Amino acid sequence: MNVQFKKGVLDLCVLALTAWEDRYGYELAVTMSSKFEVAVGSVYPLLSRLTQEGYFSTYLKESSEGPPRKYYKLTPKGHTHLMELVREWRTFSVAVDELIKEGVER
Amino acid sequence: MIREQYLGQLWELLSPVPEHLRREWMYDYEEHFRMAAEHGRSEAEAAHELGDPRLIAKELLLNYRVGQAENKSGSITLVSRAVLAAVSLGFFNLVFVLGPYIALLGVLLALWATAVGVGLSSVMAIYEGLYGGGITMLQGAFLAMVLIALGMLIGAGAHWLTRAVAKMTLRYLKFNSRVMRVKKG
Repeated sequence: MNVQFKKGVLDLCVLALTAWEDRYGYELAVTMSSKFEVAVGSVYPLLSRLTQEGYFSTYLKESSEGPPRKYYKLTPKGHTHLMELVREWRTFSVAVDELIKEGVER
Repeated sequence: MIREQYLGQLWELLSPVPEHLRREWMYDYEEHFRMAAEHGRSEAEAAHELGDPRLIAKELLLNYRVGQAENKSGSITLVSRAVLAAVSLGFFNLVFVLGPYIALLGVLLALWATAVGVGLSSVMAIYEGLYGGGITMLQGAFLAMVLIALGMLIGAGAHWLTRAVAKMTLRYLKFNSRVMRVKKG
C-alpha cells in the first residue's frame, strides 16, 4: 500500500488497539509492523508523538519476568480523537466501496 | 555489545531534548531490546528491525520541535527550528521548501524594518520643526504624531502577518512530515 496514504491511517490503528486495554510498546510495534509494512522502529516515534499530543498517557507496570514494562493508556482526549477518526474512516471507506461497486464490479 | 552501542548512540543523538523526556523515550528502545531477547531474537536482529538510530533520533526530534512550536503558537523562532528539523530529516527539499521560507522571512523582516524606520523618522520631523526652516514647530509635532501612528500600524500588521506565517508553516509541516519508514527485507 502507498506509504503516503497509510500514514494517516496509522494513528487511527494504533489508537484503536488501545481502546479496550492498555498495551506496552513492543506489543503495539510488533502488531502494527505485522499488519502494515512499516518498520518497527518507526512505530515508537509515532507513540511518542501521540503521547505528546495528549492522546496517550504512559505508566510503568511490573511484569512477571524482568524490569517493569511501559504501558500506553488511551486518555479521554485520545478516546474522543479515536471516535472522530473512526467516523471519518467509515465515511471514507463507504464512499470508496460505492465507487468500486459502480466502476469495477458492474 | 550491539545493544549498548545502539542505545548509547541514540542517547547522544537526542541530547537537544530535556533529560526527563529523553529518558522516557529511551525506555521504549531499551524495552524493545529486552522483549526481542525474550522472544529469542538476537541483538543484531532487534537493532536491524528498529533501523538506523540516526533516523529514529531525527523523527523524535522533529516531533519534539513541532510540539514545542505548537505549544507557543505563533513563535517564528520555534517554527523555524521545526522547519530546519524537517529539512534535515529529508522531508522537504532544501531548495523548494527552505528557499521560499527564507524568502518569506525576508519579507517579514523588511516589514518590521519599515515599521521601525517610519516610527523613528518622527524624530526627524520634530528636529526639523524645532531647528529646520521648512516647517513650523506645530507642523513638525503633527507630522511626528502621524509618523508614529503609521509606524505602529505597520508594526501591528507585521506582527499579525508573522503569526499567520508561523501558524500556516506549522500546519503545513505537521501535514507533510508524518512519514513511516517501510519495512526492509
